Amino acid sequence: MVSPAFLTESLTKRYGRMTALDSLDLSVPAGEVFGFLGPNGAGKSTTIRLLLGLARPTAGRACVFGADAADVAVTHRRLAYVPADIALWPRLTGAETLELLARTGPGTDLAYRNELVERFGLDPSKPGRTYSTGNRQKVALIAAFATRAPLLVLDEPSSGLDPLMEREFRRAVGEARDNGQTVFLSSHQLSEVEAVCDKVAILRAGRLVDVATVGELRRLHRTEVTAGFATTPPDLTRVPGVEEVEATGATSVRFTLIGPPGPALHALATADVRSLTVREPSLEEIFLGYYGGEER
Amino acid sequence: MTATVTAPGAGRGTLSSATWVVTGLTLRQTWRGAVVVIALAALMSAVAVGAYRTAVASPSDAAALAALAENPAIRTLFGEPVALHDAGGFAVWRTGTVLSVLLAVWGLLAATRITRGEEDAGRWDVLLAGRVPVRKVVTRHLATLVAWTLLAGVAAFTGLVVAGATAHGAMAHATGLALCGVFSASVGVLTSQVFAARSAASGAAVAVLGVGMLLKMLGDGIAALEWLRWFTPFGMAALARPYDGDHMGPLAVLGAVCVLPAVAALATAGRRDIRGGLLPSPSGRAPRTVLLGSPQAFAVRRLLRPLAAWSVGIGTYFLLIGVLAVSMTAFLAANPRFAELAEQSGFGGLVTVEGYVAALFALLAVPVGAFAAVRLAGLAQDETSRRLTLLLAQPISRVRVLAAEVTASAGGAVVLTTVAGLATWAGTMTVGAGLGLLDALSGAWNVLPVVFLCLGSGALALAWAPRAVGFVGCVPAAGGFLLNVFADSWGWPTWVGQVSPFAHLAAVPGAPVGWFAAMMMTAVGVLAMVVGAAGYQQRDLRV
Repeated sequence: MVSPAFLTESLTKRYGRMTALDSLDLSVPAGEVFGFLGPNGAGKSTTIRLLLGLARPTAGRACVFGADAADVAVTHRRLAYVPADIALWPRLTGAETLELLARTGPGTDLAYRNELVERFGLDPSKPGRTYSTGNRQKVALIAAFATRAPLLVLDEPSSGLDPLMEREFRRAVGEARDNGQTVFLSSHQLSEVEAVCDKVAILRAGRLVDVATVGELRRLHRTEVTAGFATTPPDLTRVPGVEEVEATGATSVRFTLIGPPGPALHALATADVRSLTVREPSLEEIFLGYYGGEER
Repeated sequence: MTATVTAPGAGRGTLSSATWVVTGLTLRQTWRGAVVVIALAALMSAVAVGAYRTAVASPSDAAALAALAENPAIRTLFGEPVALHDAGGFAVWRTGTVLSVLLAVWGLLAATRITRGEEDAGRWDVLLAGRVPVRKVVTRHLATLVAWTLLAGVAAFTGLVVAGATAHGAMAHATGLALCGVFSASVGVLTSQVFAARSAASGAAVAVLGVGMLLKMLGDGIAALEWLRWFTPFGMAALARPYDGDHMGPLAVLGAVCVLPAVAALATAGRRDIRGGLLPSPSGRAPRTVLLGSPQAFAVRRLLRPLAAWSVGIGTYFLLIGVLAVSMTAFLAANPRFAELAEQSGFGGLVTVEGYVAALFALLAVPVGAFAAVRLAGLAQDETSRRLTLLLAQPISRVRVLAAEVTASAGGAVVLTTVAGLATWAGTMTVGAGLGLLDALSGAWNVLPVVFLCLGSGALALAWAPRAVGFVGCVPAAGGFLLNVFADSWGWPTWVGQVSPFAHLAAVPGAPVGWFAAMMMTAVGVLAMVVGAAGYQQRDLRV
């Protein structure tokens, strides 16, 4: 077994009476792209802050490559971080920020950095105050990927990027994986995690719900279909892959589609369909469906 | 499932109630500083009226006091003493300049902080996405600041009257004081509309007020330039001559002048982009990569601009002190009663040039201490605004980041005191006062232990009260100075006065350096820094 890039043992963080993170045991193997999935407020950012030593655990511990997370002078030599909400020094230009981070960081591949600046289409001559959310994110992503650090900790990294840049981001994650780097990617988007990760930990209300491979995650993937018909809707309850059929009106029906859509489409094709809406349920809805509402 | 749909615009409350919410926000952002300024206005005015009774204990005192009006040096520093025959007039002369500068500086810094500062930090994006238009938001911010400065005027009036001064003169003085505050708050709001960065807005507003103060000083000190006072708010407030005629004309003009920046600010507010100023910010430039190699270098890089501005201010003031050295000491030698009074308030030896500059060098601890406290408060601000997060994600411990900031600030304090020493020496050279260069420098450097105390208390605050770093950091210097003055003036028990660092500061260059006290203060300061660093390392970052 590969030694973990990082490890948490009964990691707990309370803010007053609020428990942000409840006894998290998590081990992320080196060399994997590891997703960290959960709705807003699940404790993802708290976990990352503890991991980076920016906050102190109430109980338990976090280790990065065997060193205690509080010892940042050691652990940060082997990681790079992209925060969820990036603030840059307003007077420093993008190039100057990259220079500061390169010269104070764990070492930077300058050629790769220049390549990333090109690929992400960043204009590094602008002062920090003028950058949009997406551009600030690009600066932090370029700085982090260019370190080629063994562990990349990315907190909601692509939330401000447009689809083209998101593609570049996914490519850079792929390059990091090919390089043998570990990527810890926190997100609330199932599709993003599915696209780039090998394995996923699911966090909800401060607790670890599940650790699964992306293949296993597919079982969570459900599609909600609403169809309107010219006349009475056909009976869909016995169609394979169709669940939770519910009449929403005299001529409309809503159901959940799991697995291949062929049989359901076939059944619909025989009826006179007037409208069809296909929607991916939010992560929260999936959690409610799979893990029940009682888990806070 | 049932759903309640609320039509846009049908939310609770009207536009006017939404505007009041904005006012509530501005009150929350300003009340702490405002309360301090208002309390100082009342307290200092009342104390000065009380001090008058000791100052004119005998007819010879009154005569000596009258001689003050003749001295250009005194006039330059404190303004023209127009009514020293009256307790109120004396109090106005003693506190007027200090209070108007205090109120003006607070007004403009609060203005740029709550307008441009908030906008620059992106918080106005949310505020302005609401129903209240930008011009109304700016109006409310200005109105709150104007209300506070008017309250400070009321406080000064109350302080004077309660302590026994007559009301009519107090009214003229308080009006002038409050209008100076209104003017600077309006200028602060105006520069916040013009410039896209808070530092630029603050800098421009400080420059306007600095020029205003300089014009008044020239007008006060040089008879031929008296007319200059009509071109500055501080001068117009003085031209009202409280307790000596109480002229309302200059105050009316000042009131009208205050309207100009206010109207300009509100007119500009509606014509610019949010997050942008009237002046477009530069769209890009070539990288300047010096001083980016380490946290220490970066701390120095961020220090340079503010240090240059502080150096100009402090250098100008102490150049003036040096130029006035001969006439001041000659005056005090000719009027021994004043030297005696000053000695009672803890400023001995003013009749020699060395004693005189020593007394004024002690004052230097207040701005330099404030400079150090402001630097550490900036670090706390960088943390809350998340700028520090990327740096702290590097292999750099928080202790190292704090140490970099502390050493850079301490270095800045050394530069500022050196500038003050050199400026004083240069000033005395022009009038042939015969002050040695080393004497001037050692006198200025002598206040550094107080600055170390400021850095220490600032570091403690960073660890346990990060919102109050600026305030707590100023306590040893500004608080200690006030304590020293009050303890002397009001005859408080000795031990109370001894708490102040100023009680232990030797009057260098008039007296030899008090090495023991200096070492003790430095040791206490360094200990506080170490404890503060340990606490800072242990706590959670506030992001």
